[in-house]
Amino acid sequence: MFNRSKKRKAISYTVILFSSLLMLTPLVSAALNSLKSYKEYTAIPVQWIPNPFQWQNYIEVWKMTSMDTYAWNSFIVTVLSVIGALLSCSMVAYAFARLEFPFKNSLFVMVLGTLMIPPVVMIIPQFMIFNQLGLVDTLVPLWILEWLAQPFGVFLMRQAFLAIPKEYDEAAKLDGCNPFQTFVKVYLPMCKPQLATLTIFTFMTKWNEIMAPVIYLSSEDKFTLPIGILSMSGAWFGQEQYLVAAALMSLLPILIVFLFAEKYFVKGASSSGLK
Amino acid sequence: MPKLVDRVKPLKNRKRKKLSAEGRWGFLMVSPYLIQFVVFLSFPLAASLYFSFSKYDMLNAPKWIGVENYTTLIQDPVFHKALWNTFYFTILFVPAQTILALVLAVALNQSLKGLKFFRIAHFIPVICSWTVVLYVADAILNPRFGLANTILVKLGNNPQPWLSDEALIIPVLVAVAVWKGVGYMMIIFLAGLQNVPEDLYEAAEIEGAGVWKKFRHVTVPLISGTTFLVLVLTTITTFQSFEQIYVMTSHLGDVTSAGGPNNASMVLMLYLFQQGFSFLKMGYASAIAWVLFIILFGITMIQLKLQKKWVYYEK
Repeated sequence: MFNRSKKRKAISYTVILFSSLLMLTPLVSAALNSLKSYKEYTAIPVQWIPNPFQWQNYIEVWKMTSMDTYAWNSFIVTVLSVIGALLSCSMVAYAFARLEFPFKNSLFVMVLGTLMIPPVVMIIPQFMIFNQLGLVDTLVPLWILEWLAQPFGVFLMRQAFLAIPKEYDEAAKLDGCNPFQTFVKVYLPMCKPQLATLTIFTFMTKWNEIMAPVIYLSSEDKFTLPIGILSMSGAWFGQEQYLVAAALMSLLPILIVFLFAEKYFVKGASSSGLK
Repeated sequence: MPKLVDRVKPLKNRKRKKLSAEGRWGFLMVSPYLIQFVVFLSFPLAASLYFSFSKYDMLNAPKWIGVENYTTLIQDPVFHKALWNTFYFTILFVPAQTILALVLAVALNQSLKGLKFFRIAHFIPVICSWTVVLYVADAILNPRFGLANTILVKLGNNPQPWLSDEALIIPVLVAVAVWKGVGYMMIIFLAGLQNVPEDLYEAAEIEGAGVWKKFRHVTVPLISGTTFLVLVLTTITTFQSFEQIYVMTSHLGDVTSAGGPNNASMVLMLYLFQQGFSFLKMGYASAIAWVLFIILFGITMIQLKLQKKWVYYEK
């Protein structure tokens, strides 16, 4: 039996090492590409290691393009989305988890139901609404829906609130708190891990989002990073090493957050599959 | 016996009874969701159904034309191509990613040294935007100096054009999508595996089961619930793939070339986007959306039916 578990470990290691190699090779090659001169970038036979490392690629592409504008737009959209998701999802989830009000259950079934409708059906009328409001080609459509409680966050927070004993509610009521105060003072502080998960997940989705910016934005000074960098590729033909640098730079903030808060990414991923 | 009026009175009172304080707070606190439900979900749903029977260009009011959009769709060769490509992409991608994620999760579900590193390595592609993936994939897929062709040539084969080859493009896009998505699904499976009781494996070992038998007869049935959920969700999202195709097939940022070469990677969502937002045929695009919705609904129903045959639920 000892041999068997040893064998199992050996197989597992081989599988995982091989697969990690497949995962990381493209990233490492791209990182090396971003540090090459164009001559090295296109050299045949391939020159793997840049000589010297052109760190200035990163500085030059930042200076020569509107990347600072794109980054600022991405930042605004992401921050407003995160704030909106935290406030609205937790508030709505608290009402569903702890308060009694008419039609509560049928409303909650509707939240479930909206998950079944593919978003594609809503895209065109939603665009029409924002068009009527004069908000097309502004950043507003990219974050405003997060302020209206998206189902994923509502589920996540509702699960968290349901796990808290009801006695807290009654104690707060005796202290004269109304439901909103109970929610803010008692419940929210007890759900920090879930709030962190929701923050990270909204951050990741919004920072990387492409479809909504593509639909809603047309002026270059409104572009977010993913579509901004994409829009540079025509003009930078023949200098692709700069584009690789720009793309990797846009990954940097989220990579840093990921490395420090990996467990919340993992939690978010697993809770999205186990609902 | 009390008079009828006396019995009616309490009911009348109840009707007039005001909402309790808690009820008022409840409504107030769910109001963000109510607004979303009415303004951004129910109304769009109804509107898009109406648009799908109309000629609508955003500039003039929609004009009712009956089923014309749908009959045009049936005869539209690009729509046929997009429909086929969407199915092809989904049928390759969903099983490939699911099986690989399961294998990786099983391998990772034990006390290994460097567990955290492996998890991070598999999750980094998940946090990349598709724009990042485009330039990362170029290091491998570039026809002239990418790693894939360098290896092919070293092994004595012909270099391949990867993303500009009509026959290769969908399988290549699937491979890239698996690279990006497998870590996410692996995490979901890992969470499912953690719920499988260890003593079942021990019992199987005592009866002489090897690695494969344990996997087949303990792991697979016990996580079939998770697998089912993951399959349904991935099918739905894959059917609506847009970003990856849009980004990976726009040559030099020219978005009009997306879906190429020669529509070989045109999928339903991309076609909807082009018809609606590039050509302002919003009615036609809405019809595509509803066809997509109905197909997805059908597939989900079939998956729900089939689930009884293979998903194991503990009694």
